[in-house]
Amino acid sequence: MADALRRRRPASLRRRILRLVTLSTILTFGLATALGYRQALVDVQELMDGQMAETARLLLAQAQHSTNHLTDLPADMASMRGTKARRGELALEFQIFRSGGSVLMRSARAPALPLDGGLGYADVAEGGTDWRSLTLETADGALRVQVAHPARSRDKEALEIASNAALPSALLLPPMLALIYFSVRRGLKPLDDLAADVAFRSPENLAALPAETAPREAQSLVKALNRLLDRLNAALDNERRFTADAAHELRTPLAALKVQAQIALATRDPQQQGHALAQVLVGADRATRLVEQLLRLARLDPIVRLPDPRQLDLAEVARASADEAGSAAAAADKTLRLVVPEKPVAVSGDPDLLGVAVRNLIDNALRYTPPGATVTVSAGLEHGKPLLAVADDGPGVPTEELHCLAERFYRGREASAEGNGLGLAIVHRVAELHGARLEVENVEGGGFAARLLWAQGAEAPD
Amino acid sequence: MRVLVVEDDALLGDGIRAGLKLADYAVDWVRDGEAARLALLDHQYHACVLDLGLPKKDGLAVLKDLRARGDALPVLILTARDTSADKVTGLDAGADDYLTKPFDLAELQARLRALIRRAAGTTTPFCEHAGVVLDPATRRVTRDGQPVAISGREYALLHDLMIHKNRLRTRAQLEESLYAWGEETESNTLEVYIHHLRKKLGADFVSTVRGVGYRVGDDS
Repeated sequence: MADALRRRRPASLRRRILRLVTLSTILTFGLATALGYRQALVDVQELMDGQMAETARLLLAQAQHSTNHLTDLPADMASMRGTKARRGELALEFQIFRSGGSVLMRSARAPALPLDGGLGYADVAEGGTDWRSLTLETADGALRVQVAHPARSRDKEALEIASNAALPSALLLPPMLALIYFSVRRGLKPLDDLAADVAFRSPENLAALPAETAPREAQSLVKALNRLLDRLNAALDNERRFTADAAHELRTPLAALKVQAQIALATRDPQQQGHALAQVLVGADRATRLVEQLLRLARLDPIVRLPDPRQLDLAEVARASADEAGSAAAAADKTLRLVVPEKPVAVSGDPDLLGVAVRNLIDNALRYTPPGATVTVSAGLEHGKPLLAVADDGPGVPTEELHCLAERFYRGREASAEGNGLGLAIVHRVAELHGARLEVENVEGGGFAARLLWAQGAEAPD
Repeated sequence: MRVLVVEDDALLGDGIRAGLKLADYAVDWVRDGEAARLALLDHQYHACVLDLGLPKKDGLAVLKDLRARGDALPVLILTARDTSADKVTGLDAGADDYLTKPFDLAELQARLRALIRRAAGTTTPFCEHAGVVLDPATRRVTRDGQPVAISGREYALLHDLMIHKNRLRTRAQLEESLYAWGEETESNTLEVYIHHLRKKLGADFVSTVRGVGYRVGDDS
């Protein structure tokens, strides 16, 4: 559940930048402090070693010069005055001994470090404490002096030096983080402005976003958005025009229905009443067909590609459509001919939609030809590409009107037959969805042909 | 009263024709702009119901042609185009009235009555002469307050004569007014209707202008 919640909340760019910059700053600061401490340790070590060497030499020289007074030395040193012991002053312990191992003298709290170790610096542990020691001997090797101080004091010193260096930076860290916060906010302001521009838009305002003022990083986003807005605008315009046209087209059949119904109510002549009522039915059928076609177009319009294409045989589509239209053709005293090859014409698509397209073409042919005309439905290959066609031997269409035929609600200037002007628009859309194009032309020798030509070659049948 | 209906939709055109016939108009119905132009050239109408979106010639073009000829025929535009701009364009092109689809048959009839009345120059909705009152809204005729039974054709003839009160109506004008296409009848039917009217409204209600036509009212 927590996972789901986290997934649902979109990542904030600002928070992400803030987190990264803050973490980097703190990390850098920590690293600098650690490095400072390390360097301080080395420096303090060198300093202390130097002091130890100085002290050891002094002690050795003193011991060589006068072994007699050696016993008094610690007391003498302890009695010295003039300055208080400084914090950084070393708590040096020492012991002086002969090369044989007998201790001549030692400071009060000198650790019992082994006396037989080598000369020079050494780190040794004694009595639960780490010590840093330096052993020197006289040139004749008779006397040795060992000076030592606890490693703890050195570490403490180094830490103090490092802390002194780090403290000012540590104090600066909070204002620095605040600065980072405000900088990030300010830096991202153009994005916020852009977001606000989009957020406060009314749905009607689909004007392009100002690309010039957007930051360079957001340019591609703004451009993509503008392209989307453009397409949206065009789609909406189309929709509005279509809705207006559709409402407009519905008015005439509605007006006819109303007038015929009013006549049926007003007349006393039963024959006229019967005629008017029959006309009401015809009108209702026409309005129904118009609404069906409108719905079909409205459903096809938003589709970008066929939702569920499958392998089908165009010859089968042509045959089924011709069968369906058979009785309508016979009733209109027209001949319906089917021309299909024996081998299947395989394409991928939606057989129902293609059926609707062919039915629309057949309906048009039946509607715009005189009685006795022949309508030919055919499927096949042309130059290896699938083809579905409906042709008639009627009067054809005026050449200057051919290109407007697929426009919605276009009915033709000479049109006297009833139609809603949506048939070819639907065929056009179905063709588009199948990657085919709709070609309309007058046939030589009279007649009109509408053909769906596939752009791709026929697919091998399964 | 003869009316030209220009409507390309078969169902609606049939309906308008039937509806106007119910009101005793003689109705000619054409289905494209070209046929409308020819009909308007060839015949005398009392009014025209004009659709705008027509095959062959747009309704507005038909109307502009008509007005360019100086024809004052009352024209009612009947269309699905319903925006203010459409109405302004239609009226400015010379239409006398504008009605949008769908519409009420009764309203169309009333508007036509008003158009015809105004075109005849009368102000009252009734036609009145010598104690005879004709009410176009109810198509009732009274003589001295008493209702007169009258047939459709008789009514149409009487309406024409009374709306053109004090003016001579020629035989040709009256025949044009009474009959739509395909309704041509024998040459003496007009005399038969005049005879009926005289019987019902008084022998001298309609005067004959010998060899020319008929008149209701005085020679002016």
